[in-house]
Amino acid sequence: MENCRILNRIVQINIANVKYTDIELSGNTCFVGTNNFGKTSLQRAILFFYSANSRGLGISASQKPFEEHYFRYENSYLIYEIDTEDRPFFVIVYRHNKLVFRFVDAAYDPDFFFTSNNDAVKIKEVISNLEKRGIFISNQIDTFERYRNIIYGTETDKVLSKFHLLKGNEKYQNIPKSITNVFLSSKSSIDSRFIKDFIANSLTTENSSIKLEQVERQLRQFNEKYTDIETFLKKDSTQLIEMIDKKYDQVHMLKGQQMEMADKLGSSLRFAETQNEAIRESSKKKEEELEKLTEEHDAFLEHIENKQNEAHEEIGYYDRTIRDANKKLKAYKDQNIDAALEKNTERESLMVELNIARREYESLTSNVANIELKYSSLIEQLRNDKTAYINRTNSKTNEVFNHFNELQLMQKNEYSKREAELKHKRDESIQDVNAEITAKQIEFNELKSEEKVIKSTRYFDNEIRDLENELAELRAVSYKNKSERAIKQNMVQSIQREWENLETKLKTSLGNRVNQINNEIQKIKDDIKEIESKLNVQHDAFYGFLEKNVKNWHNTIGKVVNESLLFRTDINPELSESTANSLYGISLNLEPVEVVSKSIEEYQFEKNTRLAQIRDLEESLNQFQAANNEEKMLAADKYGKQLGELKEDLKVLSYSLDLADKREKKLSDELEDWKNRAGKEVEETLTSNRQRLNIIEEELSILNKKKNILLNDFNAQLDKLKAYNDERLAELKERQESDIAELEVEKKNSVKEFENKEDELIKEKDKNFKSKGVDSKQLKVVENRLKELQDALKEIEQYAQIVSDYLKDKRESFDKLPDLMQKKEEFVKNKNEYAAQLDEANRKFNLKRLELNSQKRAFDEELIEFNNGINFFSNNFRDTPLYTKYADIIERAEPRRTQHNIMDLCTQLLKNDSHFNEEYGAFQRFVNEFAGKFRIDNHFNFIIRNDASQGEYERFAQNLRSFLNENKIELSIAETATQIGLVTDSIATKVKELSGQKEKIEHIIALIAEDFKKAEFEESKLIEFIKIRLEESDNKVYKLLKRIQEFREENGLVYNEGLFNTDFATGQKREISGRAVKLLEQLRSAIKEQEQEEIRLQDLFELKFNIKEGMNETGWTHKIDSIGSTGTDILVKAIIYITLLHVFIKESSHRSSKDFKVHCIIDEVGQISAHYLRELLRFAKNRNIMMINGLPNKSGLESHYKYTYQFRREENNNVRIFPSIVTEVEA
Amino acid sequence: MLAEDFNLPKQTHDIFAVMARGNFISSNGSKDGMNRLYDIINNPENFERLQAYFNVIRYNIERGNNYFYFSKLHEPNSELEKKLERFERYIDIIDLFASMDNKITIGSRFRPSEIAEECNANVRLKQKLQKIPLYRSETLHNKVREICDLMSRDSYLELEDEKTESYKVLDAYTYLLDVINSIAIYEESDNSDANTINYN
Repeated sequence: MENCRILNRIVQINIANVKYTDIELSGNTCFVGTNNFGKTSLQRAILFFYSANSRGLGISASQKPFEEHYFRYENSYLIYEIDTEDRPFFVIVYRHNKLVFRFVDAAYDPDFFFTSNNDAVKIKEVISNLEKRGIFISNQIDTFERYRNIIYGTETDKVLSKFHLLKGNEKYQNIPKSITNVFLSSKSSIDSRFIKDFIANSLTTENSSIKLEQVERQLRQFNEKYTDIETFLKKDSTQLIEMIDKKYDQVHMLKGQQMEMADKLGSSLRFAETQNEAIRESSKKKEEELEKLTEEHDAFLEHIENKQNEAHEEIGYYDRTIRDANKKLKAYKDQNIDAALEKNTERESLMVELNIARREYESLTSNVANIELKYSSLIEQLRNDKTAYINRTNSKTNEVFNHFNELQLMQKNEYSKREAELKHKRDESIQDVNAEITAKQIEFNELKSEEKVIKSTRYFDNEIRDLENELAELRAVSYKNKSERAIKQNMVQSIQREWENLETKLKTSLGNRVNQINNEIQKIKDDIKEIESKLNVQHDAFYGFLEKNVKNWHNTIGKVVNESLLFRTDINPELSESTANSLYGISLNLEPVEVVSKSIEEYQFEKNTRLAQIRDLEESLNQFQAANNEEKMLAADKYGKQLGELKEDLKVLSYSLDLADKREKKLSDELEDWKNRAGKEVEETLTSNRQRLNIIEEELSILNKKKNILLNDFNAQLDKLKAYNDERLAELKERQESDIAELEVEKKNSVKEFENKEDELIKEKDKNFKSKGVDSKQLKVVENRLKELQDALKEIEQYAQIVSDYLKDKRESFDKLPDLMQKKEEFVKNKNEYAAQLDEANRKFNLKRLELNSQKRAFDEELIEFNNGINFFSNNFRDTPLYTKYADIIERAEPRRTQHNIMDLCTQLLKNDSHFNEEYGAFQRFVNEFAGKFRIDNHFNFIIRNDASQGEYERFAQNLRSFLNENKIELSIAETATQIGLVTDSIATKVKELSGQKEKIEHIIALIAEDFKKAEFEESKLIEFIKIRLEESDNKVYKLLKRIQEFREENGLVYNEGLFNTDFATGQKREISGRAVKLLEQLRSAIKEQEQEEIRLQDLFELKFNIKEGMNETGWTHKIDSIGSTGTDILVKAIIYITLLHVFIKESSHRSSKDFKVHCIIDEVGQISAHYLRELLRFAKNRNIMMINGLPNKSGLESHYKYTYQFRREENNNVRIFPSIVTEVEA
Repeated sequence: MLAEDFNLPKQTHDIFAVMARGNFISSNGSKDGMNRLYDIINNPENFERLQAYFNVIRYNIERGNNYFYFSKLHEPNSELEKKLERFERYIDIIDLFASMDNKITIGSRFRPSEIAEECNANVRLKQKLQKIPLYRSETLHNKVREICDLMSRDSYLELEDEKTESYKVLDAYTYLLDVINSIAIYEESDNSDANTINYN
């Protein structure tokens, strides 16, 4: 029994082709058997004890996995018995779905596993068997990791901690790795790369390489983002963005206008369709109203005219009557009717006086009646003659008088006739002219009324009112929008300030944090440097001396010594027995004193702790940066979205205001236009009215002139006629008077004669009377008186007829004159009233007629416009693609009156569409050109398909705008800056992690070199020396990685705000960023070029050997193809392996754990000579390593091993392994 | 004279290799770092140096709208004629492209199948495609492919994604349009026997 821990035995129960085998391994062991008999399988099973890694046993992918090949049955067991200082324990490996382990605190006994019939029992029964026997069996160990922890003594569970093979330190994993590597390396030539791999693999895990694919992916991702941002920031792109934005607005506006117009068109069309019949009806109604109005007016006119005519006639009648009465009265006056009337009143009294005179005369003449009678008869006779003569003359005079009177009358009649004719003609002409004048006057009055109507009419009132309303609404909305815009602009500014403040805060806090962490890291690095310096010098320092020469010095010297003293190399410590347990001869009780010295592991631990601290700090910084970025992104998201929305709103508001301004201007213009048109219309109508008025005025004046001329002409004719008549009458009168005067002279003469005769008679009579005594004087007086009375009566009688006529006329006419005049006045008044009524009716009629006409005209015009519009739409618009484009809007529009006619709308739409297409084409070109500048899978998602719809192009522009508004480029830059930081950091960390192991390699190589030196080659003189040394790697990728790491070390964490030429970028930062980008780019190219999958530890250095065997020295070389014979090569290889194994075991196990042995499994050592083998076994033995080797057949070499097992395949294809009886020559 | 004497960018060789073949370097090209080459030439300092350098070997760098190309100093007329002949075939191609519903413009991305489909659906386009000379492909798709291939070779297009056969129109396409647009076709006159095409 060994007094140390060692894998003592391996038992296979139903493992692979082996039913049962129990193999002792406590010394050098040799397996002899031809190929494919299971030697390697058994060696793998042994290796599994050390490595507990079913995938690291060198089983190729084409072969069955370890679990399936080895553990085919429920009762397949691999049992490893480990011998210890006191009593052995064993490990059971079995399959319970996966491979699991149990530790049993007892030596292996087949009875635990087999029934009496030699049948292997199931694990439950095994456990039960053991428990029955009171043997401790651990719980099932499910993981390889935990199993290794237990075996290599790092298990913390006290129940299991005793089941260890050795006490490993934190690097114990190197032991199974080394054993595995030795087993797996089958090359016969010694290549430094292989040794490098060996060392590296032993020191690293599978994941501790730098996966270049991953790095390349990171670099690619970074590069792509970098390129995208760079493309975005280019001047061309910025210009294109501006153009896209501008064009999008234009296109959007045009589209909006088109849609608005399409809606108007639809509304107008619907309105036209629905209103057509109604308008037609309205027009017809207006026409009927007009007809009715005209009829009523005509009837009224007729009625008034009748009344006027009646009044006119009455006035004419009364006028005539009054005129005739006045004429007669004047004639009577001319005939001195007043005097006649006065005399007529005296007639009765004169008659009475005459009768008295007659009776007086008769009484005076009664005595001389005969004489009287004689003379009276003679006088009477004479008087009768005289009277007859006078009567004849008078008759003659009367004849003449009458003749001339007749002539005069004829003349007067002729005159009257001609005057009447002339007057009739005059009246006719004047009447014509008057009629004409009246018509013109009526027309004039109508025009005057019209003028008044026109002046009071507001043309285009609806349009103007609509426009005014619209303008008022528009101004109200604009005012509201302007206020809203101002508010939003303020909001934008305050949000921007808030955002900028937050950004600055975040930036400052990140900067502070970076500085703080870098300071802390620097501090820790200083600590590490200090620790490293201690560790580096510890071998040659006082510390190393104590380690080598003083047992438990930590508990003695370690408690009192100054730490700095421990690492001094200049104090030359020497052992002196006398003061071994005293301080310069003074004995001290150090029990209560605390140890101040630290073990190397503790220093190492401290160093690792600090490294971990750095990692933690960096991690925390990363997290902080990520959080910072996160906050930035949140802020960008929050503020950006708010800003974006606000800016969008502002844009919309500005756009609305622009539109409103344009609209206001347009509406104002339209209003002005309408007003002008209205004014113009009034003016035009008034002008035409005035022109007509002027014409009519002129015509009227002409007519009046004509009338005056006519009147003058006729008056002249009448005057001429009258003059002629007067002349003629005067002539006749003259002739009459001359003829009558002649007759009167004749008459006078004759009467004179008669009167003379009568006087003679009267004288004779008087003589006679006197003769007879009669008072002739008194008689004469009576006679005179009789004569006077008779003359007076005669004169009265002369006027009797006139007076009678006068009185008759007076009674019939003159007395009625006031009544007639009053009645005439009444009729005149009535006539005036009728005229006024007529004027008023005309005015009203004209007004109403104008209004109705205007309404009807408006309806007709609207109808025509509608029909024209509908026709135009059907003929020129419906079949165009533009209609298809806006069909939805047009067809779904609500019927509504708009200010635009359909034709204009269609034309404008078509015109606009052509403009829209032009603008849209430019917009599309800009978008294509812009998107084309980016990679197809750019991270901004700036991509547009060639057959993209208008909607997609618009969404592109919208997204681009959001991108700008939310300042996403800054986020992207920040992300990319973080990414470059992270990529650099990740590379630096990986390189550092990997390079960190380089020190271990250097250490291992130093140990190996040391171990080679210690090798006792001198005895056999076979190998004079084996030298090994490290050189710098010439791997291009690694060199670049290293440069990146150095860059990272030099500049700290690279948080690149200067990555792009933005506002943040400062000269220094830009320069650093530029270098970082360049390095990463170089690395990317190198990775592409080198086509290497990963950078492993072995790529970090070059390893060179120099071996001298006899006279042969290889010189410093990577690869030693042949040092000497094959055997020599195998020996050198085995020696190197054993050295490596030894070094790793020494390095990876606890210093206190020394009493253990491990196996070195090297297959196929058949070609090595016995001499060399012996040398090798001894070499191994000196390093507490047991060899397990395979030999193809027995050749005597097996005699050098403690145990030799032979392999035989039986008929049932099972393999039987049995010990070969040999004598151990040397163990 | 050595390249170093001119303090030339290290991509000079790449630039020469592209442009000496008669190809263009467009700003929106991505294959073989074309956009980088463009940026390098576009740098005013580099441009002057490169221009001076290439002038020595009788090449002149011509600047277009976002693209560069070489012109030869004192090129013989026969060469010019050949060049012009090369453009003749593009007249029909550009005519076809300009007649498409989805206009092919700078930066457009399309697949030959899309164009072929559109041509197939539109008789006018189909006829235009069929009358394009020099190609013997039986299907419309293959014909468009050949056109795209030709244009890619002449660096007017770039095969951006081989899997999806997606092409991108490069900035140099402007050159093609400019040349085609500057062709003035004169009607047959009494003095000439046939229509003549003049390149301005």
